Amino acid sequence: MAVARYIKDEKDQILDVILESGIHVKPSYSQKDLDAIGFSYDKDVADPGEYPYTRGIHALGYRSRAWTTRQYTGFGTPQETNERFKLMISHGQTGLNVAFDLPTQMGYDSDDQMSEGEVGRVGMAVDTLRDFEIAFKDIRLDKIGSGLTINAVASIMLAMYQAVAEKYGYDPKVISATPQNDILKEMIGRGAWIFPVEPAVKLIGDTIEYSMTVLPRTNPVSVCGYHIRESGATPAQEIACAILIANAYIDNVLARGYDVDAFVGRFSFNLNVFGNMWEQVAKFRAARKLWARNLKEKYNVKKAQNLFLRGLFGGGGYGLTKAQPENNIMRGAYYALVAALSGAQTTALCSYDEAYTIPTPHSALLSLRTLQLLMDEMGLRDTVDPLAGSYFIETLTKEMEQKIEEEMDKIVKFGGIIKGVSEGYIQRMVARQAFEVEKGLESGELLKVGVNIYKEGESMDVDLHEYNWESAEKQIEALRAVKRERSEKDVSRTLKELESATRDGKNVMPYLVACCKAYASVGEMADIFRQIFGEFNEPSLF
Amino acid sequence: MELVKKVLQGDEGSAARLISMIEEGLDEGYEAVSLLFPHIGKAHIIGVTGAPGAGKSTVVDKLAVSYGRQGRKVGVIAVDPTSAKGSGAFLGDRVRMRDAEKVKGIFIRSMAHRGFPGGVAKATLGAAYVLDGLGKDIILIESVGAGQTEIQISMICDSVITVLTPDYGDEIQLMKAGLIEIGDVVVMNKMDRPGATEAAEDIRFFLNNREDQPWQIPVMAMEARRGKGIEELMAALKLHHTYLENDTQGKSKKKDNTRILVLALFKEEFWSLTLKRIQGETAFGEVLQKAQDGLIDPYKAVQMGINLALTKG
Amino acid sequence: MQNKKNLKVLIAKPGLDGHDRGAKVVAQALKEAGMEVVYSGLHRTIDQIVNIAVQEDVDVIGLSIMTGAHIPITQRLCQKIKERGIGDKMVFVGGVIPTRDVPKLKELGVAGVFPGGTPLAETIQFLQSISKKG
Repeated sequence: MAVARYIKDEKDQILDVILESGIHVKPSYSQKDLDAIGFSYDKDVADPGEYPYTRGIHALGYRSRAWTTRQYTGFGTPQETNERFKLMISHGQTGLNVAFDLPTQMGYDSDDQMSEGEVGRVGMAVDTLRDFEIAFKDIRLDKIGSGLTINAVASIMLAMYQAVAEKYGYDPKVISATPQNDILKEMIGRGAWIFPVEPAVKLIGDTIEYSMTVLPRTNPVSVCGYHIRESGATPAQEIACAILIANAYIDNVLARGYDVDAFVGRFSFNLNVFGNMWEQVAKFRAARKLWARNLKEKYNVKKAQNLFLRGLFGGGGYGLTKAQPENNIMRGAYYALVAALSGAQTTALCSYDEAYTIPTPHSALLSLRTLQLLMDEMGLRDTVDPLAGSYFIETLTKEMEQKIEEEMDKIVKFGGIIKGVSEGYIQRMVARQAFEVEKGLESGELLKVGVNIYKEGESMDVDLHEYNWESAEKQIEALRAVKRERSEKDVSRTLKELESATRDGKNVMPYLVACCKAYASVGEMADIFRQIFGEFNEPSLF
Repeated sequence: MELVKKVLQGDEGSAARLISMIEEGLDEGYEAVSLLFPHIGKAHIIGVTGAPGAGKSTVVDKLAVSYGRQGRKVGVIAVDPTSAKGSGAFLGDRVRMRDAEKVKGIFIRSMAHRGFPGGVAKATLGAAYVLDGLGKDIILIESVGAGQTEIQISMICDSVITVLTPDYGDEIQLMKAGLIEIGDVVVMNKMDRPGATEAAEDIRFFLNNREDQPWQIPVMAMEARRGKGIEELMAALKLHHTYLENDTQGKSKKKDNTRILVLALFKEEFWSLTLKRIQGETAFGEVLQKAQDGLIDPYKAVQMGINLALTKG
Repeated sequence: MQNKKNLKVLIAKPGLDGHDRGAKVVAQALKEAGMEVVYSGLHRTIDQIVNIAVQEDVDVIGLSIMTGAHIPITQRLCQKIKERGIGDKMVFVGGVIPTRDVPKLKELGVAGVFPGGTPLAETIQFLQSISKKG
């Protein structure tokens, strides 16, 4: 919900505007401001498709191709998921996006006590390879790529994806998976963590290393500033954390002796889009520049393509309100405009009713139309980075760049992002800010339409779907059937081999694939890791 | 007393309620402690102190798990240093002891530093007695250590571990402040960090200057997060416990501690009683005002205050 | 000599859900209002939460539930606290709670429901009013 802070006089004249990232906005900007920041077109901005890519990673931007839109698919059973996959493909969708239920995300089988009441609730329940076999049946995995919204057990899911592809006769080299696979953001703002920081990062390194040779079309990491922003970070902090998190994963792989150009090009980012419009556009432009510079100067990346910040800019969940939900349709439109003005490669919008219910097909369609309107009717495809050269936007971009670097310096000074997350420095920062925002909204210092101003209008009551106990039971039964049919000898052999490999510090991926093929369960594999790595010790709030 | 009986029978709820009564300073609470006292004394009370961020919670967490594995019955008191008089408290150390929470029968209690006379240490002593009565034979007390009051956690504990890290950098300051000597065991945590070995050496050198002491304070390197060094730490604690029980100097140390503790408690209690007697009195108010206005010197003011307190009816 | 006792509140996150922004905001607000707050951390079972409530001798147990499972979770908690002999402790629930479920929760024994969007002052006032009674 966070917005800029407005200092006004009794006549409602704005005396000062303070953006979330701390930048003050002046009444007007001119050439003088560009001179003051030492603006140089070539150094600071350059043409689209030219280093440092502030204006965009491609010279033609949307003229060559409109942005891609992503629609999440989260269905209880693998069977339902398979049906929905086929439906979406028939509608022309070229990529799948899979959400998993909480037990799967947390490494528990559907019959585990911890899973009670959660099986298939927020996404697909996956216990063994059998579930993937059902979900991906008759899907052309050589033609259709799959985004997997999975983090703590991404290594297991990726292994299972390879296993199911091979089972259906596909060469691993042609399949394309995009696991989210960003554990550090889980510890900061999404909470679906299992293992402690260091082994969790090691697992990510394993997936990156493995995909270089065995699964070359995998995009192994999608660094999510998104959730960090959702949990209370300012826009500048969102990017600062994202870059540092990406670097932590890069460092892990580099330590194994690889050349950075061999893998960094497949990293992507998932960034949030709510907040003050100008701050957001400046943020994305600055982010592209800083990422490219970070890779070039710190890591000596040689290939130009590898310097691109490929991003999904979207979502905006925290910006939406339960109060007067139709306002969220307009908010969505503005957020989408921001994403378009910022040159997002991919985008997704929260549906207007998402604040209080599971999106209906109608609201999902409205989101899709919102995005299509911008591309096909309003002219957002016409030219690349249309705001470039604006006195305001170029000044603000430069200031955002400085703010982001300041935030990065603070974290580095503390000891780096890994230490920051292990000891709770980042978590405390975002929690404190979240509290300040809440206080600001309640005091009226921060304005939010429908919440503390212009409150005449209707709110909707939260409407949640009933939990499908029957479905859950079926899933548990199916798991039991798999356990009866599989070879216990193979399961225990592959699990033992996974255990020794993990203890020896080897890359776990090939061992996971073998376990998946033997129909070892997600819980069984995750338990091996739990035994060896232990669990993340959540840092204290204060 | 019913509550005392229940505690001795192992009832957690009663133990928790009794600790609350002690925190509130209720007479009932202290009476209960007196009734409990003859039945306790077998627990090894281990204090874990050190700078913020040194890893105290982690050390406590790992010790609890290790003692649990040995079949010991463990109690933990986590003293939160962040709270102050009047304002609330966030008792968050417990969150960081997830492994300890899984130890069978473990009892973990967080205590807020409420800024009252005697400070948190006074209530911690009572809580330790309650946990002893509950049947715990290892009681770990996590605290920042040197507080604002006379009563130190070190007076309450049998063994005190001081946790340092090479990051902290101010070992010299700590040595000057006499804080390192409060510990019976010094732990140099985060030994994977640069400078750890050197820092440990510095402290060892400093502590070795007291050859006359029967108990030589060991300086142990640890990586608490990975569990490295826990076995050695437990061995050192066992040695210290034996020393306290069997060695003449050790046994007298415990007696000294108790004497110091009683005197410190007495001092605190006496002070708060005295203050109660004269705080509201106009005569005392006048004395303070005179001193503030420079009409009388501070020594005179104190003399007058004492006379008031002693002669008040 | 008596020390004034601050209200001791447990803020708990039951189940597997990891969204804790709201719980942490409430925890900070309660601390600022002078209460002693014990935060359970994520991924707690009902048994673990009740254990904490017993050992910390909290006055109030707060559940933060964002997944829609508030009825079964609350039911189990209220039952468990009775079994452990602390059925007299107040329970309040926050998170993603439909208004229409509030009567059901009250029936289960919940003293107050504070869905997301409730002003912090309201939650604080409610808890302070309990402490006067308790």
